[in-house]
Amino acid sequence: MATLVNGSATADWPGRYFHIDQILDKPGPRTDPGFAAGAEAPFLRDQAKILVIGAGGLGCEILANLALTGFKHIHVIDMDTIDISNLNRQFLFRSKDVGKSKAIVAADFIMQRVPGVEVTPYFGKIQDKGDDYYMQFNLVICGLDSVEARRWINATLVNLVDPENPESLKPLIDGGTEGFKGQARVILPTITSCYECSLDMLNKQTAFPICTIANTPRLPEHCIEWASVLEWPRVHGDKKMDTDDPEHISWLYKTAASRAKEFNIEGVTWSLTQGVVKNIIPAIASTNAIIAAACCNEAFKIATSSAAYLNNYFMLIGTDGIYSYTFEHEKRADCPVCGGESLDFPISMEVTVEELIDMLIEKQDIQIKKPSLSTPTRQIYLQAPPQLEQATRPNLEKKVSELVPGGGEVTVTASTLPFSLSLNIIYN
Amino acid sequence: MSQETQDIETATTAMTSEAPPDSRTRRYDRQLRLWAATGQAALESAHLLVLSSTATSTSILKNLVLPGVGTFTVLDDAIVTPADAGNNFFLEGPDSIGKPRAQEAVRLLGELNEGVQGHADVKSVEQLLTAGKGELFKYTLVIAHNLPRSQLERLSQLLWEDEDAPSLVVVRSAGFLAEFFIQQHEHTIIESHSETAPSLRIDKPFPALLQYTQSLDLDALDPTDHGHVPYVILLVSAMERWKKEHNGLVPQSYPEKKAFKELVSSMKRKLDEENFEEAEAQAYRSWTETKVPSEVAELFSDPKLQNLNASSPPFFHLLAALKAFTAHPPYTLPLTSTLPDMKASTDAYIGLQKLYKDQAELEKGTFKSYISPEVQIGDDIIDSFVKNAHALKVIRGSSWNSIDKDATALANAVTASPKQLAIHLALSAASSLASKTPIPLQGEILVLTIEALTQEAQSLLPPETELPEEFEDTAGEIARSPTADLPNTAALLGGLVAQEVIKMITKQYIPISGVCTVDLIETWTGIL
Ligand SMILES: [Zn+2]
Repeated sequence: MATLVNGSATADWPGRYFHIDQILDKPGPRTDPGFAAGAEAPFLRDQAKILVIGAGGLGCEILANLALTGFKHIHVIDMDTIDISNLNRQFLFRSKDVGKSKAIVAADFIMQRVPGVEVTPYFGKIQDKGDDYYMQFNLVICGLDSVEARRWINATLVNLVDPENPESLKPLIDGGTEGFKGQARVILPTITSCYECSLDMLNKQTAFPICTIANTPRLPEHCIEWASVLEWPRVHGDKKMDTDDPEHISWLYKTAASRAKEFNIEGVTWSLTQGVVKNIIPAIASTNAIIAAACCNEAFKIATSSAAYLNNYFMLIGTDGIYSYTFEHEKRADCPVCGGESLDFPISMEVTVEELIDMLIEKQDIQIKKPSLSTPTRQIYLQAPPQLEQATRPNLEKKVSELVPGGGEVTVTASTLPFSLSLNIIYN
Repeated sequence: MSQETQDIETATTAMTSEAPPDSRTRRYDRQLRLWAATGQAALESAHLLVLSSTATSTSILKNLVLPGVGTFTVLDDAIVTPADAGNNFFLEGPDSIGKPRAQEAVRLLGELNEGVQGHADVKSVEQLLTAGKGELFKYTLVIAHNLPRSQLERLSQLLWEDEDAPSLVVVRSAGFLAEFFIQQHEHTIIESHSETAPSLRIDKPFPALLQYTQSLDLDALDPTDHGHVPYVILLVSAMERWKKEHNGLVPQSYPEKKAFKELVSSMKRKLDEENFEEAEAQAYRSWTETKVPSEVAELFSDPKLQNLNASSPPFFHLLAALKAFTAHPPYTLPLTSTLPDMKASTDAYIGLQKLYKDQAELEKGTFKSYISPEVQIGDDIIDSFVKNAHALKVIRGSSWNSIDKDATALANAVTASPKQLAIHLALSAASSLASKTPIPLQGEILVLTIEALTQEAQSLLPPETELPEEFEDTAGEIARSPTADLPNTAALLGGLVAQEVIKMITKQYIPISGVCTVDLIETWTGIL
């Protein structure tokens, strides 16, 4: 097996680290006094164990950079398989790999190309793994396109911190891109601002009101949403729509196109249909390269102390020249993950439980999809299991003020998030 | 446009948009959403020359081969060293040591995309420079990483002498620090992908829009229709009323503007009519005068317009036509046909959209009549030009070392951008020292002292200008790692440079003007 041969550090050849050793052999003017010139390499090359979450656009770049800078023990998790539309940027994959696991193909490629590096893939979800698994790493780098997965790993690493055990603090380096824009940040769980602290910085997704889709379509997007949200379930019943199935996209396209024709709306195309139903975000190799390099550079600096690391946020916009902004994102005292204080939540006396739930879904700094609510003394509404959902359903129509006193606390949980949010209800 | 041509156009669009895309389109889907088929075609017909196959060079190329640049040539006479095999992903570790570096790199880069042609040229830069212009002019663009200063000066001069020569991207890096610069004569952009929306001309409604608004009796509408009149119509209607009561003038002062918004609000029948809320929010559009944006008006004095002839680039012929168009009433740019979404019934919206489309088509016809009859310009280019007229760009570049010769600019930069200047000076000083003889060598490592770098940098500045305070730390970093091509720095530069090259080739989005400097210790980029 390749890992046995490659796993040995003897694969190093004289001169291999000529470039990197210039940095490791002596300090720079701004290097921290804690840096031990000439003695940092063994930790980096023999001991450091790093986890890469995502083997897609950012992940492929991250794996290559880490391997070249001298990390020898890399783990990578990704639940996806390779699609042809990945090949314009995910450079560890070839046409013959379409349909295979990203994590496995990427790991094999890196081990093949960079001798002596051991990459351990896991083809599955991050949620499959528990605290023991995450505890084994010194660093975690995320190259994900899912907000939910990032919230999960962020909360998991914050929860992992045990003040008695310094090893339990795992720096989390997070990168993200969209077209020509991207950001990289360093999160020291419990110490710096975390992913959840900055949730309100996310772009709000365009959501089309159902009444527009159903009654007054104006844009091609409205027709496509009509086809996927209203017509698909009406025609196909319980059959699940698979946005990766060309037959399904074709059906949606034809349905949307005929509605567009009926309303004299122009511009429904196959490509737009696919873009809308899959919520496709443009992605290119260059932006991913920039952001992944920024992330890996932070990992290298943290692992070697060769230079100060980013405090704590770097954002880049490349559409008009190159604009970047490096700043310290502040911790939120009422962050549900790292803050400790409960979040003040002013509502009117008239608001019903159902309306409160809608507000929680909508609010930019909360964004909880299927929240369950309770107070210290009673369950207000639970999404699951079915018996409890049924038992608490009558509360949906009740006013919150009938169930919670002013200044009272409401705990919000969701099965997708490994933390709970504590609201301090204030009536106005 | 005649009915017949429209039908052909609709038919072709239908053909290409109905069927599931072919495998090439599927491969490039995520980037086609950024630069479309036109950008992709430009990319695929480009031929790039890259001097050297260092880690930085191959990182740049990787990000151009993946999106499908047509052809690339790597010119490099080096043989792979153990150090190369350690920091370059496009070499196969120890297996590549001793082989020609260009050939190894081209072979491995080629595996990324079957649609791309790669050539390895094992000539030296010296041979290329001796061969002269003929050899260089077949390329679309030339990229040079860490070229010794003496060679860079000759290359830059060869490519600067001739206005039609390929642009040159000069890339330098050492350790955590880097910079790059694009030497170009002129770069014109139609599709700048500006986020500024073009005017809807609510303040100067065109006849059909005004007529339609006047014919609509808001009070006679049933409640549903009343809540679905597009805000454009509401604003035009409110402004007509306002002008009648204010000597034909739009609101001038803040209290007047507030009063106008109240007028709009008073036209509501119910408190929660969303179309009226939109009208209030967009009210500024009805008193902001639609004029030719100043950035576009500035282009009308471009020297290229003075000496226009049949061989001038189409862009300038179109710009001349635009200038002529704006010299006539209503003294605006041609109307855009794209209407943003707004609360409205389908019929009201589609009807309004048709008004805009028809007027835009009419004005495009007028615009076309101003285009010099001695040139033939395709309809698709004209369409795109008119659609993007509010955000056209012309970049007049400069030669690679122009900043180093500009005493005032350097003196200003000492106070305005000291950190960026420090990086530029330190890398320039390192490059000059490296091309001076004898080079002090200790083992394989080039030894550069902070003192030598300081002295050299000082000599690059005009007399009596002090180095920025930040210089010492920056020089210290260069002295620490004068020849380090770090994988992360290489990868980051690879992304930045490739992205600018894509903007140059596709003529979409806006490339940098000036020197882009990068500090990966503090993690920032900045333009000098
Ligand atoms: Zn937090």
